[in-house]
Amino acid sequence: MNIYFRNVMVLRRHCLTYFMTVMAVFISLNILSCSSKKDDEIRVRIGYLQTDLHQLAVFVALEKGLFLKEDVNIEIGGIFKAGPEEMSAFAAGSLDVGYVGEAPATTAVANGITDVKVLAQVNKEGSALLVGKNSPIKSIEDLRGKTIAIPGFSTVQDFLVRKALVRHGMGFNEVKIIVIKPPEMMWALESGDIDAFIAWEPHVAKTITKGIGRILLTSHDIWEHHPCCVLVADNGFLEEHPEVIRKIVQVHIKATDFINAYPDEAVKIGIRYTGMDENAVRQAMKNIEFDYLPSREGEMEYVDFLNSLGYIKIVDPKAFTDTFIDSSFLKEIVNE
Amino acid sequence: MRGSRYILLISLIVSWQVFSSLDILPKQKIPSPVDVAFGVMDLMIIGLPPGYKLGHHIYASLNRVFWGFSFAVLIGIPLGISMGRSRRIKEMLDPVIEVLRPIPPLAWIPISILWFGIGIKSAAFIIFLGAFFPIVLSSIAGVIAIDVVLIEASRSLGAGKRQVTSKVLIPGAMPSIFTGLRIGLGIGWMTLVAAEFTGVKTGYGLGYMIMTARDIQRPDEIVAGMFIIGIIGYLMDRVLRLVEASVLRWR
Repeated sequence: MNIYFRNVMVLRRHCLTYFMTVMAVFISLNILSCSSKKDDEIRVRIGYLQTDLHQLAVFVALEKGLFLKEDVNIEIGGIFKAGPEEMSAFAAGSLDVGYVGEAPATTAVANGITDVKVLAQVNKEGSALLVGKNSPIKSIEDLRGKTIAIPGFSTVQDFLVRKALVRHGMGFNEVKIIVIKPPEMMWALESGDIDAFIAWEPHVAKTITKGIGRILLTSHDIWEHHPCCVLVADNGFLEEHPEVIRKIVQVHIKATDFINAYPDEAVKIGIRYTGMDENAVRQAMKNIEFDYLPSREGEMEYVDFLNSLGYIKIVDPKAFTDTFIDSSFLKEIVNE
Repeated sequence: MRGSRYILLISLIVSWQVFSSLDILPKQKIPSPVDVAFGVMDLMIIGLPPGYKLGHHIYASLNRVFWGFSFAVLIGIPLGISMGRSRRIKEMLDPVIEVLRPIPPLAWIPISILWFGIGIKSAAFIIFLGAFFPIVLSSIAGVIAIDVVLIEASRSLGAGKRQVTSKVLIPGAMPSIFTGLRIGLGIGWMTLVAAEFTGVKTGYGLGYMIMTARDIQRPDEIVAGMFIIGIIGYLMDRVLRLVEASVLRWR
């Protein structure tokens, strides 16, 4: 009995030592990783969407080291599957700037979740509504009673599909709209779980080049030159560090110009960041307009329609838009 | 002092409301109890997304749990009892179960979508995985814990193999099996809500509803949804306890 008891005590002591060692290792690892950061510079945490070719400008900026050249200490704050998630990260204070869809950004600000400002446009158009390759669906009207997948409620794509339905005189209850994350949409379409989906590029091009789906409507058909992704900044960060924000806008303009000037090189970067093949990325690039000029009319249309969907309640869309879009940095740089 | 158990809960809610009203708690991150109550009403009357009402979300989630849990019970209890009874079966199956058990049910989601699509089958499969292992393990434990003397005694009184199982092993293991059922149902319920985050074919489900509330940035409805999930989980456990009490009346 005595021996047994002593053994237990030894065992306990061993456990404790072991536990302490592990803790010490973890703590010192943490301290090391923290101390390796330069603290004299301002850290900028950026967010963007996973496999979203709309946001090619941020991929180009990261790949070409454009942030470094402007002396911006950039750090990836998060990569998200859809815009609403990214806006939650802004609300949690985990991001300073981000590339995100205009609709989720509008919804988050209108509902008071977070306070961000639109600094510049990222792209226009670049989404499409797809059906199965051999689907009998030939028009929007044929979608009655069918299931359509969107990347999330209150995303640009949710907005576009509802706009298309309204334009064709259809009610939202005539179709079933469900949320699936874009990487899974192609497979759900192939297996017949859904009849159609709307997604951003390059998921559209990939589904087509894989021979699984065809386009029913492009976002160009639904709303010509519609604004899509935007560059936003947390308002608190913007007020505290306007000089850093100015540099980020500068990087964004350079990256966008680069895409339009050297599309072939941009395709290569697109392939690396989306993990898709060249054929799909090339095809996808054709459907996206890379443009940094934001549109007030476009934003007002977002606010009006999101209001009518009941997602937000904004009494004065014009006043909202005027404070939401802050293109002062953009104008300054472009006019120089 | 029947009401005393609720005093803490009620005073917590009241002070939460007071702090919210005084703007000490940020309303957009922590909606006040009144906001949450209105959120629940919105969910019932307007629905989220509009037209998809709360009752139907609850039904869809319960339906998925019913199927997943039923399969877990139908396979788990017999398997557990036979593993508890026969050393050979236990030794054979133990390695398989012990390797599969630590895999979190949520880690199965991607492969489950590949196998079953996004319909009820994949959701039921995830719940099945959550509920199955606690049920098997508690069934094994229940059988093993039965006093050998009881089994020997019934044998010497002339009971056959089948009689020993149905008259001694199953009733004897029942209390432990019920514990397993309650744990399994609890884990299954938690798993379901998370499983619905990845998308559901019908557009209904409580987990899916919370994600929708997040998409349109409505914290009041997020918390309202969480509250409802908690209440239903609690009620399911109560029901199971009532069943347990009536089945194990002999105790």
